[in-house]
Amino acid sequence: MRLEELWEQLEARLATWGRTHSPWAVHFNSGSCNGCDIEILATITPRYDLERFGVKIQGSPRHADILVCTGPVTRQARERLLRIYEQMPSPKFVLAVGTCAISGGVFQGCYNVVGRVDAVIPVDMYVPGCPPRPEAIIDGILKLLEKAQAEGVAT
Amino acid sequence: MQAVIALLIFPGGLCVLLLGLAYEWLDRKLMAQMQNRVGPRWYQPVADLVKLLAKQETMPNGVNPLLFIGLPLVGLASVLTAALYVPLVGLAPSYSFRGDLIVTIYLLGLLTFCMSLAGSNTLDRFSLMGALRALTQLFSYEVPFLLALLGPALAAGSWQIAEISAYAETHWLILTQPLGFVVALIGLMGKLELSPFDAPEAETEIVAGALTEYSGRGLALFHLSRDVALVVGLTLVAAFYLGGMANPLWFFGKTLLLLLVVSGLQALFARLRIDQTVGLWWRYGMLLVLLQWLLMIVWR
Repeated sequence: MRLEELWEQLEARLATWGRTHSPWAVHFNSGSCNGCDIEILATITPRYDLERFGVKIQGSPRHADILVCTGPVTRQARERLLRIYEQMPSPKFVLAVGTCAISGGVFQGCYNVVGRVDAVIPVDMYVPGCPPRPEAIIDGILKLLEKAQAEGVAT
Repeated sequence: MQAVIALLIFPGGLCVLLLGLAYEWLDRKLMAQMQNRVGPRWYQPVADLVKLLAKQETMPNGVNPLLFIGLPLVGLASVLTAALYVPLVGLAPSYSFRGDLIVTIYLLGLLTFCMSLAGSNTLDRFSLMGALRALTQLFSYEVPFLLALLGPALAAGSWQIAEISAYAETHWLILTQPLGFVVALIGLMGKLELSPFDAPEAETEIVAGALTEYSGRGLALFHLSRDVALVVGLTLVAAFYLGGMANPLWFFGKTLLLLLVVSGLQALFARLRIDQTVGLWWRYGMLLVLLQWLLMIVWR
């Protein structure tokens, strides 16, 4: 009995270690003005080198752990955002990048905008800024990983 | 008992898997250094593997569940079997029979075949396109690659990997067959779908190619089998062209040198379109190999 418990604990620890050391990200723009997207592209350039934290930008949501969201959610993009979120295998995290993703920003109250990202899907970490600098995005990802580490990643 | 150890722990099985992960890290680190980056931490491939194995695996609608689960296993098994016939870490191959060169090459080809079958098993159009491209690419590089590896076989007068590498110990075939060496090394890059030949998984066009729908365990196994294929391929080319079997350290140095060249080429070239890939292999790769064979015949 004791041995089994120990084994389970070890397994959970190993899984948490793997998850917090190999976050693969997929990027989705749900109606952003492209400012944040350019900053995200700048973040994955050699100058900032996200691979040293194990971050890889993946094309397929099926391969990804972190959904990096930019922009307010428009009525058109709402369904797509939900679908992409549901295509990701759990455990998954959502990083909202930019003022619009956090609150709707300047697009707040527009007739074609649903609003902020966490009105549609649960968000784990927010990166403010219009647009946030690459350093801020890296900081957001690392804080997200710290949080996941602390929570032990509930599946 | 000895056979079981050779199969599961050393030099097959576990040893090859760890070696594959180490080579993947080296490849990524070298690429990063060439792009002026820091690159991944040394345990990165292990962390990726653990994470993928611990992740949820979703089976999309409309797939054949048997194939969906079975194909990654068959792919990994085929490359692990191929590893038994090559002189891993410079030691004599665990198993050997006449004509095992052909079997090894086809076992390596089986991995690509499994990936494209896995892609065409799903209803997703991106994985279907990826599968189609992978097969097209298979038909273009396979023949020059095979002919390039048959050059040393012809020189040694045997189709057995052990005998060819024993012959290569006294004859450095890179000196007598430089064209064949170039085609074999670049053919290996095509086989592993490395950078200039990564049209089958071009993430800017077709998401992630044949493996788009795979998550968790299946993806982990396919990544792992590609790492093993990298080890087997590098071992094969090093044993054939760079002086056969040797002591493990020296042999490791040789494969490392090959890996350096491969990463350099990866960093140097941008992705080729699929028609450019086919054209490259059939127009130039094939021509180079045939020229090599002509030279060999004239030399005799």
